[in-house]
Formats: sequence, C-alpha cells, structure tokens
Amino acid sequence: MSTMWQEAMLEAFRETTLRIAHFLPKLLALLTFLALGLAAGWLIKVLLLRLLRAFRFDALCERFGLGPSLAKAGTKQSISHLVGRLSFWLVFLLFALMGIDALDLTATANMMSGIIDFLPHTLAAVLLLLFGVLLANFIAEAALIATVNAQIQEARIISSFIRWGVLIFTAAMVLTQLGIAKEIIVAAFSIMFGGVMLALAIAIGLGGQSIAKDVLEQRLHRGNVKQDEMSHI
Amino acid sequence: MTKTDWPQVRQQVGDIEKIEVLVGIPTFNDAGTVGPVVKAVKAGISKVCPRASVLVVNADAGSQDGTPETIKHAMEPDTPTAFVRHLEGGLLSGPISLQAFSESGVPGRELAFRAFFTIAEDLQAKACVVVDANLQSFTSDWMEALLHPVIEKGVDYVAPLFRRARYEGTLTNCIIYPLSRALYGKQMRYQSGGGYGFSGKLASLYMTKNVWEGEGARYGIDSWLTTVAVAEGCEVSQGFLGTRIQDVKLTGMELSVVLAQRVGALFHLMEVYQEVWEGRMGSSPVPQFGFPYEPGPVGGAVNVERMVRGFQQGLRDLLPIWEIILAPETLAGILALGLLEAEEFRFPEALWVQTIYDFALAYHEKALHREHLLKSLTPLYLGQTASLVLGTREGPPEDVERAIETLCRTFESMKPYLTQRWRFP
Repeated sequence: MSTMWQEAMLEAFRETTLRIAHFLPKLLALLTFLALGLAAGWLIKVLLLRLLRAFRFDALCERFGLGPSLAKAGTKQSISHLVGRLSFWLVFLLFALMGIDALDLTATANMMSGIIDFLPHTLAAVLLLLFGVLLANFIAEAALIATVNAQIQEARIISSFIRWGVLIFTAAMVLTQLGIAKEIIVAAFSIMFGGVMLALAIAIGLGGQSIAKDVLEQRLHRGNVKQDEMSHI
Repeated sequence: MTKTDWPQVRQQVGDIEKIEVLVGIPTFNDAGTVGPVVKAVKAGISKVCPRASVLVVNADAGSQDGTPETIKHAMEPDTPTAFVRHLEGGLLSGPISLQAFSESGVPGRELAFRAFFTIAEDLQAKACVVVDANLQSFTSDWMEALLHPVIEKGVDYVAPLFRRARYEGTLTNCIIYPLSRALYGKQMRYQSGGGYGFSGKLASLYMTKNVWEGEGARYGIDSWLTTVAVAEGCEVSQGFLGTRIQDVKLTGMELSVVLAQRVGALFHLMEVYQEVWEGRMGSSPVPQFGFPYEPGPVGGAVNVERMVRGFQQGLRDLLPIWEIILAPETLAGILALGLLEAEEFRFPEALWVQTIYDFALAYHEKALHREHLLKSLTPLYLGQTASLVLGTREGPPEDVERAIETLCRTFESMKPYLTQRWRFP
C-alpha cells in the first residue's frame, strides 16, 4: 500500500517536474521575445521617426490637410509620432505573437498563422484609410477654394459634401478590404449612394431650380451675366 | 524645340549661317489676325534695319485654321522664313496641361520661345523680337520700339509698355509690379504679352535657365522673361507700344487661374533668386523708348460690389486656410475689414503688403499645396482691387498711378518684413 502511495507520489512529482522543465524554456522564450519586441519596436520607432523627419513628413501631411483633420479629431501628437507609435506596437505585437506561439498552447496553435495571413489585409486597409483621408481633404479644399472664387454661396456645403462622400467611400473600401460584413457594406453603400443621388436630384428639381438655373446660365451664357469688363493682367 | 529638331529648321533656312535679327511669331489658330501682323513686321524691319539679315520663325501650336499658310502668303518669297510646329494637335497632344494655356491664347507658349531662342543662339542672332499673332493694334512702330534699343543702344531686354484703361491690369499693378520692383530694384511695369525685344546674349542666357520644364514652365513664360532679365542684371528697358487690342480666345479664363500662374511664377523665381533679391533695397527707373502715353480712359465697367462680396465670402469660407497662410497680426487686420460696408471698404496698403509677403513666405515654407495657396489669394486680391477703385474713382486718372506708386513704396519700405522671415521663419 505504502509502496503504491510512494510510486504515485513520485510519478506525480516527476510528471510535474517534467512539465515544468518543458514549460520553463517556453516561458523563457516568451519573455525573451517580449524583451526583443520592446527593443526592436523602440529601434524601428526611432529609425522611422528620423526618416520621417528627414523627409518632412509632418509638413507634407499638413499640406494635404491630414494634420488639421487629426487635430479636429482630438489628436494632439504629430503624425510622425503617431506613425512611430503605431510601428512600435506593430513590431511588439509581432514578437509577442511569436512568444505566445513558442508556448505551444493548444488554444493559440492556429492564432499566429491566422494573424500573419490577415496582416497584409490590415496593412492595405491602413494605407487605404490614410490615402482616403488625404484625398478627401485635398479634393474638399480644392472644391472650397474653387467655389468661393466662383462666388457660389453654398461653397462650404459643397466642400463638406465632397469630403464626406470620399470618406464614406473610403470607409466602405476599408471595411471590404478587412472582410467585415462585405455584402452588407456593398449593399449599404449602394443604397446610400443611390439615395443621396436621388435626394440631390429631387432637391435640385424642386428646391434648387433657381440655383441650378443661375449656375447653368453663368456657365453657358457668360456674356449675358453682368461681370467685370476689366482685364486683370 | 530641342537641339535634335534643329536639322529640320536648318533645311528650311538653306545656307544661312548667321543672322542679325530673328523675328519670332508664336501662333495658335490666328489666321484672322496674323496676316496684318506679318506685314507690319516686314514694314518695321525695313524701317529699323533695312540691310540686316533677318529670319522670321513661326512656332505654331497645331493650328487647324491654316495659320502657317497665311504667314507663308503674307511673306515675300525672298524673306527667309522657318516654320516650327512645336505642338501637334494643339491642346489634345503632348504632356501639356490647361495651366500652360496662358492668357496669350497659345498653348505651350514656352515651347515656342524655346524654339526662337535655340535658333537665335545657333544662328548667332544679335537681336530677337517676339510678337504675338493675335494683335489687332500691331503697327510697324512696335518693331522700332522693340528692336531699336537692342540694336542701337545695346539693351538686352525690351519689355512692352501699353496705354491701359484706368483699372486695366490691376493684378500687375497691385501685386506683380510692386512686388517685383521691391524685390529686384527695377521699376519695370511687368506688363506682359504683345511683343518683346531681346539681345542675342540674353537669348543664350535664357537657354541656360532651368525653367523650360517642371514647376517653372507650369506658370507660363511671360512672367519670368522679365524677372530673369532683371534678376540676372541685364540691361533692361521698356518700349511704349500704344494700345493693345488682342483677339483673345480665352475670355472665359478664370481669374484665380491667371492669378495662380502669374503670382506663382514670381514666387517660384523668388526661391531661385533668393541671393539676388535679399541684397537689393529701394528701386531705380529703367530707360523708356517710344512715345509715352497718358493714363488711359476709364475703360470697361467695374463691379465693385461684386468684388467686395467676393472678399467677404472668402473671409467667411476660407478663414481656416488663411489661418495657415497668414501671420496672426495680418489675419486680425483682415478680419476687421469684414465689418466694413461696401462703400467704405478700404484695404490699408501696409496690410495688403503684409498679406502678399505672408503668401510668399507660406509658398516658400510649403505650408499648403501651392496651387491651393495661390488660388486662395483671389478673394483678397478682389478686396484690394475694390479698395483701389473706391479710393480713386472720383478723382482724375492720375490718381490711380499715384496710388500704385504709393503702394510700390510701401512694398519697398516693408521689405525687411519679408527678408527677416524668409530665412528664419
């Protein structure tokens, strides 16, 4: 009886020691990966910040209106700092995932490959979002200046409409890229776009007849509209 | 035209190795007006330099109305003439944007000038005259005013000076002329188009400048012809040409586009000639040839209320953009103008000068996309023009000239505002 008890005790102890002996290197690997992730993330962040500063990335974003857009959204940091922070966390996440993979847990067995497969889509979505915001700001600003110079009183409304149109289109593309509710997004976007166009047609047809008439008259019969006859050159 | 196209021109000019005068005529669908211009050119040459060897060069941008053929008919067979087609198919061909469609009405105008200067350099021309083909008021006297100073007085560059109606050319008078005068120290009116006279030396100098492609070319050639001549320290002068009546095809050209082209050219060259203008203070007059003219009549209708409305709308809608461009004290001054009634509207000279300098600085610092920056100046320019009209319309025509002179002096006296901020923003 006592022999059996002893054997059971020893077996359990051996098993546990063996498991710990197996797990400890994995834990050490995780900790090493985390430490490496911190160091690599910091290094990438510093290098990227220097590179962006050298190319005057913040000034470039300011020119295309991205800086003011983020400021409006409550972000106080410069865009290069934001990119730097994003790169740090991206690198750290990559190393952390490697560390988790090293633990060889059943629950996280397919997580790493899944995340790595999804990474290109995420990167494409981020780039798409960035490009979309830049484009929206640029086109909206150009439209605002052009409509103000043409002395169209609804300049700001037209500019906002263009900005939000491009942003909504971008959001739909980003969500489609990420594969989130693809069918719903496409359907919602189509319905919304069609709805907006219909609303515009009705608005111009019923409420904005005179504005449309004035604009068309100005465009097609410049000579009849009272304008300055002086040459500015 | 590039050096590789030279053999084609060579074939047309036969065994001519050297010429004294080159007459360049850039054209684009000008069959209706080019005939009398060519006849006046011939009459002018026989009056100014009857014994000189002359080559007439037509650079056509792909006319569809037989402009080169009209020139051929108008020229006598014994007058050497060369034809360069620098842009086949007009606007529809080549890497040319509407931006390059200057108010002259000739697309790719800089390519035509490049062709003239290339030929002038290769044939060692002593003088070069370029005249627009869409002129209805061109006479043989113009050739004398443009050619005589170059041949007889050793002048490098003759800019045109026209008799303008009272408020004609306000963009030139309120921005281009005062700013250029303050920067480069020469009292050149910077009126452009119509006709120019160049020495062979200056034609060669233009060929060495990197303005034919890229940003420089985008703004059109007329502005930088004068700026380069003045900034490079060439002998410059102005020729009185009388009234300019043009067959303008581009009446619908947006004011903001013209403004962006002309002011953009000036700002662009400020970067190129930073070392030159930083050291120049004050200004000196330049020699003038021909018969001087009194200020012109009142001219066409000026809708001041519309201009003030344009300014006020700009103040309401473009404020976020102006906040990026203008210094806080300049913006505060402009905001105060929004409270004025149309009849009381006056843009203080010092504030206008500060505004233009702030735009130049913002252009230099690339604070905003450059085309947006330049076009957002339009409402402010309308405000300044309205102010000029309201301040002088009750007085004699000389009042306008006096107002422009005062503005020029303010630009000169406030130049340190620009120079201090240019290097150390």
